[in-house]
Order: sequence, then structure tokens, then C-alpha cells
Amino acid sequence: MALVALALSCGDGEFGGPVTVDLAASRPPERLSEYRLLAWRDGRFVYNDRVVPYELATPLFSDYSLKDRAIYVPEGATIAYGEDDVLDFPVGTVIVKSFSYAPDLRTPNEGRRPIETRVLVRHADGWRTWPYLWDEAGRDATFTPAGAVLAIDFVDPSGEPRRASYLVPQRNQCTTCHERQVSPGSTETFVTPIGPWVRHLDRDFTIDGVTQNPLEQLAAEGLLTGLPAERGEPTFDFRRIEAGELASLSAEELDRAARDYLDVNCAHCHNPSGVQGQTSQLFLNRENTDRFRLGVCKRPGSAGSGTGGLTYDLVPGSPEESILLFRMETEEVGAMMPLLGRSLRHDEGVELIRAWIASMPAETCE
Amino acid sequence: MKKLGWIVVFFALACGGSSGPTGEYPNVDCDDFADQRCVQVGTPEELLEETALLDEPTVVVLASGTFALAQSITIRADGVSLVGQGIDTSTLAFTGGTTQFNGVDVVGDDFLVQDLTVLDAPKDGIRVENSDGVTFRRIRATWTNEDDPMNGAYGIYPVKSSNVLVEDSFAENASDAGLYVGQCQNVIVRRNTVRGNVAGLEIENTQYADVYENLAEDNTGGIVVFDLPGNPIVGRDVRLRNNIIRNNNNPNFAPSGTVGIIPAGTGTFAMASRRVEITDNTYENNQTGDIAILSGLIVDSDPAVWSLEVARLVGDHDDLGLLPGAGPNTVTNYRSENIVIARNTHSGSGENPDISRDMGFLLALLYGDDPTDSVLYDGIGESMFDAEVPANNSNDNRVCAGGNTAGTFGNLNAIAQLETPGSPHFSLTEAPFAPYDCTSLEGGPVAEVVLP
Repeated sequence: MALVALALSCGDGEFGGPVTVDLAASRPPERLSEYRLLAWRDGRFVYNDRVVPYELATPLFSDYSLKDRAIYVPEGATIAYGEDDVLDFPVGTVIVKSFSYAPDLRTPNEGRRPIETRVLVRHADGWRTWPYLWDEAGRDATFTPAGAVLAIDFVDPSGEPRRASYLVPQRNQCTTCHERQVSPGSTETFVTPIGPWVRHLDRDFTIDGVTQNPLEQLAAEGLLTGLPAERGEPTFDFRRIEAGELASLSAEELDRAARDYLDVNCAHCHNPSGVQGQTSQLFLNRENTDRFRLGVCKRPGSAGSGTGGLTYDLVPGSPEESILLFRMETEEVGAMMPLLGRSLRHDEGVELIRAWIASMPAETCE
Repeated sequence: MKKLGWIVVFFALACGGSSGPTGEYPNVDCDDFADQRCVQVGTPEELLEETALLDEPTVVVLASGTFALAQSITIRADGVSLVGQGIDTSTLAFTGGTTQFNGVDVVGDDFLVQDLTVLDAPKDGIRVENSDGVTFRRIRATWTNEDDPMNGAYGIYPVKSSNVLVEDSFAENASDAGLYVGQCQNVIVRRNTVRGNVAGLEIENTQYADVYENLAEDNTGGIVVFDLPGNPIVGRDVRLRNNIIRNNNNPNFAPSGTVGIIPAGTGTFAMASRRVEITDNTYENNQTGDIAILSGLIVDSDPAVWSLEVARLVGDHDDLGLLPGAGPNTVTNYRSENIVIARNTHSGSGENPDISRDMGFLLALLYGDDPTDSVLYDGIGESMFDAEVPANNSNDNRVCAGGNTAGTFGNLNAIAQLETPGSPHFSLTEAPFAPYDCTSLEGGPVAEVVLP
């Protein structure tokens, strides 16, 4: 374990001391470096002690940006593994998610540079979200509560030139995806992490040459307690789609892959307690078993131009008649889904959902 | 090695000619809010930064002029007021935006927006969600282009909120609804103007709404009330009174969706609604028809999708007598029932139904060269139909038009028309329109909405 820790972090020497999170401050630090969580060195992110990088089985698409995620658990505290495979993060936990691009994503480690880092801090009364924007040289990032819109040119993993109208979210826009009602319909809401869930973490990932399951790594380092040997079915491994396996998936795998893609990319809003997604009564979370609320032959309540001239959210057997696919495919402002964080089409995700809808026994909606 | 380039998209890219904010506060400033935390914002950057950091009750006073914004104004705090110098004096302009968001996006109790304009929002103009205590006062939500399907969906949009007041405001050119009250409880909408939208003013899955003294003109549909299937907030107790609903003949430019089915020339419809009063309104020159009372099955014909688990329902519903749904412990809300229509005036309407939409086509077929009746009832769900002797018809849904003495009444017999267009239907030209001659709601009139 010590070896892994060494490989992943740079120790106090690099950062000048341990991670520092002032939970009492009324405003977060102006500079990301003040937390001593991470730094940009030689074209990659490096982390301080107790900051553990992780990846997710099916990630949220964000205009093909490269993402680096890590979690910090304060000295003396541990993440508790709770019922229903929920992780309970102690006060003082910090989740960091950094976004970067390379000019040509077929060679992501060449010329890569950081764009922004989002910091999610667990306070006693809940999570707070802070966006930081990196300077061009990657020396440090500055607190940017008002966010930014950046035009970014790059070549995507398939060799296609693209221009993203990339949104660095405002502090409050973070909440748009991260907030939940305490129970369906309640006006009381709370902010929650949406990445590091047990099922998204529960696979082997290779980071900096080390292959490991992040849950097992956290447990081995003493940062996670109560990890059971038996856990629920993990989220589909989207790397298989990226590797071109879509056509060879079994029917069962295709359904799992598609539902998990929708779960990760849509259900942060489209779930029964999602503040904005609830309005539509379209629920794309993994647990939803109600076909109508999954979109089957359901007219959108309030889609505006997002229908693309189509009538139903999901027409089994007919991807081209399904608004769900249209809204994933279009790059028109005002019609796209998700609401935030996408200006480009995610080709691999679109093809997955197209195949999934096409694979369903055909139905006519009326 | 190629260098990765990025450009911060600056404000005012697409706003040539318009002047920026003046930094002046001619009509209101923080001295007017001496007992509250207050900040004045004179630039787009200040406005974005101040609103992004709010976490306590605050009045944000905007200078006069145009704030050209490439990003949303997003508020996640209680007790925030956004106050401009005047409806046409302070403008938030999102024109030419390259990324998607709502113009003003709010989740927070006791929110007020007043005296400003929101122009060209990429999605909704002002969306306030999941909030208790919401006031829109003297604001305008609009888009530069008329009849453009790429305009945002909703102008003024309180949703899933309670104790909502929308007054003295304007909503124009939305590709869905100009002023949309969705899934709310306890609402007053008064003295607003909705113009050039697909639907002018919509009350959707909403409980206790008083809608009065509004002007709805040049929309596709004027003022409409409806429930959508599957929503746990069953709409009830909606009063439309003393509104002017005229010239709503704008071609339907919605790309589709629920409002895409509205024929141009629609004054008002109540669909899948109950305990609705439509009284003392002025209807003029709505060329498909003035008032339609419709079952939700007209749009979603599968009753199963209208089935709702009783345990999930929100708000008062025990007294509504909702029909059972598709399973145990469920109810259904597709029926329109317990509706009063009275003392409206009607002139020049129903003379040229929009045949590009199914309902308009049916009306053109049934009425030929005659104007459509001022109250059109689809008759869906009635146990007895008799075109020869109208008094033999049932009025199980309790559609009460007895007091609408200036109008006429038509039963379209819509289910039969679906099978055989041109099936028997009938018109009643003189009040009290028996068997639709009742004049009051069962269970008493809609109660007055009192905001705290």
C-alpha cells in the first residue's frame, strides 16, 4: 500500500504541508493551491498525501474533456459504508474533479492543459461547491464563482476536429446537478456528490500504472470502513463501448449499458427527487421500472424546442422518432440535454442509446 | 506540438449597438432598502459574481442599461430580490449565447424579481423552481425574433412552487408558453400581457390559482388550464376571470410537444381539469373557438398513463371524487369535470378554424361555414349522448354553462368523431343550455387565493 501511496502523491515536500481545509471560512481560498490538494506538474495532476485519485465506470460526458478525480479524507476520519451501498463521507471530506484538454485527444498526454477544477467540500451542514479556473500555464487556479464560457478547439478521440463552447459552471450551477429534494416533492433540498457512488467506483481502474478497485484501495488505506465483500451490481464499464464493443454486447449487457449511461448522464436531474428533472416526470435513474416515466410513449411536458418535431420521448424500436435520442444528438442551444455541461454530441453515448432503442421490440405510440 | 488554444467568450459579442449598463440608479438604489442587505451592480461581471456568491437574504439592485450576458444568472439562496430600474430601463440580454442555460435560474424561498427585462434567454427566461414565496412584478420576458421555434420555451416560469404572484408583467414570443405556472400551489396571476407566444398563459397541474385582468392576444392559444399525465399534483380550483382573450390566431410555431397540438385561433381550453371557473372574460376574434372543455384522453388516449398512486399525490384531493385508476390505490385525472362558464362575452370568434391541427380540422368539418360554438365540449366520458333531444344527454362531468348567456354551446361527441368523422353532434344556441344549465361548482365556488 505504501508503494501505491508513493506513486500517487508527492508528499509534503511538493505541497509545503498537509491538505488544509478551513471549514469556518466564510469564503473559500482565492487560489486552489491554498488547499494543498493537487498541483499540475509536467502535464498531469499530482496529489498530496491522503488524496486518492479514482475513476468512474461510466463517466458523465463533458464535451470530451479529460477528467481527473480524487478524494481527500481528513486525518482521523473515515468514509463509512452504509446500507443500500451508500457512502457516508465525514465532515472535512473534499472531492476534487479537474478538467483538461489536449489538442488531439487521440494522444491525450501530449500538450494537455488544465482548464478548471471543481472542489466539493463536506461541511457539517452539507456539501459546498467551489469552481476554480486554471491559468494558461497551469501554475494555479483562481476561485471563479461566476464561472466562464470558453471556446476550446481540439481533435476528438475519433480524429474529428471539434469546438466546444465549454461551460465552467458558476458556483450555483454546480447545484443544478448536485441538488436533491430531501424526499420527492419536498421544497427542502440538499447538495450531494454524484460521482463517487459505490456502483460507479466498484471496478478496476489503472491510474498512473497502478490497477486497483478504488473502493478496495480506500479500504486498504484505512479511509473506508465497513466495505462488504458482497456488493450490488456495478455500473457498466463504459470503456468497453469506447473500445468498440457495442455491436458485440448481449441484449442484457446492452440494456445495462444504456440504462447506466442514462443513469449517470441524465438521472442527476431526471430522478424522482431531482429538482429540475422532476418537473418532466421523466425518470432515467437506474432504479426506475415504470416504462411510461422512462419515456415510453410519453409526451414531453415542457420540452419547448427540445422535441425536434417529434412527439414521444421514447418510441421502442424507433430511435429516430425518440425525443430522448434527439436531445442527446442535437447541438442546438435550447434543445440539448443535459441542460448544462454539454455543447457537443457524445458520439459513443448517442450510438449506445440508438442501439438500445432500436433493440427494443417495436411499438406504435398513440 | 500544437498548442491548445482557448478563448474566453466575452460579453457583448452579439450585441453591437446596444449600450452597456450606465452605472446609474435613477429610480431605485440601496437607500430604498435601508433595512436589508443590499448590493448595487453596475456591470455584468458584478451582477454574475454577486448573484453567484449569495447565501443570505439580499436585494440586488441593477443599474439602468443593458447587461450583455454570456451566462446565466443563477440564484440558490432564500430571500433574494432582483430589482431593476424599470421594465424597459434595465435589461438582461442573453442574445447570441453559445451555451445553454435559463436566463435567470432560481431555487430559493421568498424570491422577488421586479422592474427589468430578460431578453433572448437560450432556454427559459426566468425559471423559479421548488420555492415558496415567489413574486414577479413589472418584468418583461421576451425574445427578439417573432415566431421563431428556436426561441426559449418559457418566458415567466414559476414551477413546483407555492405562494406565487405574477403581476403587471409581459411575456412575449416564447416557443412554448409565455407565462407558464406549472405544478404550483396558491397562485395569483393578474394584470399581465402575454403576446406572440404559442400558448399565452398556461396553468398546468396547479392547485388554487386566481387568474384575472390579464390580456392574452396574438398567441396561438390564449389562456389554457390543463393537467399532464403522471404528475402527482392534480390541478384544481382555478379561476379565470375578467381577462381579455383576443386575436389569438398566431400560427403555431412550436416544434411540437403538448402545445404543438393547439390549433391557431384558440381562446381558452380546460383539459384534464376540475373545479375551474371561467367567468366575466372578454373573448374576441379567436378563429378556431373561444372556450373548449376537453378530456385529457384527447391528447393521451391511454387511460393507464393517467393513473396516479394515491400515496404520491400532493395537496388536497380527498374531496375531488377522482375516478379510480388502473390499479389498487390509484386515481385518474384525465377527466375534465366540475367546470363553471359564466358571463363571458364572445364576438367574432370561431369563423375559421385552423385545419392544420386535428382539433381545428374536426371543427371545420363539423361546422362548415358556420362559426363554432363559443363553448365547445368534447363530451368524452358522458354516459348518454343524444343529438336529437339534447336534454336527454347526461352531464356526468358537470360542465355548467347555464350562466354564459351571451354564448352558445356545442357537444362535439368527440369519441364518435374519431371513429367516423362527421358523426352526430349538436349545438345549443340559447341559454341555459340544458342539460349543461347548472351554474355553480359542486362543493362551493373556488376559494379566494390569499397569499401570506
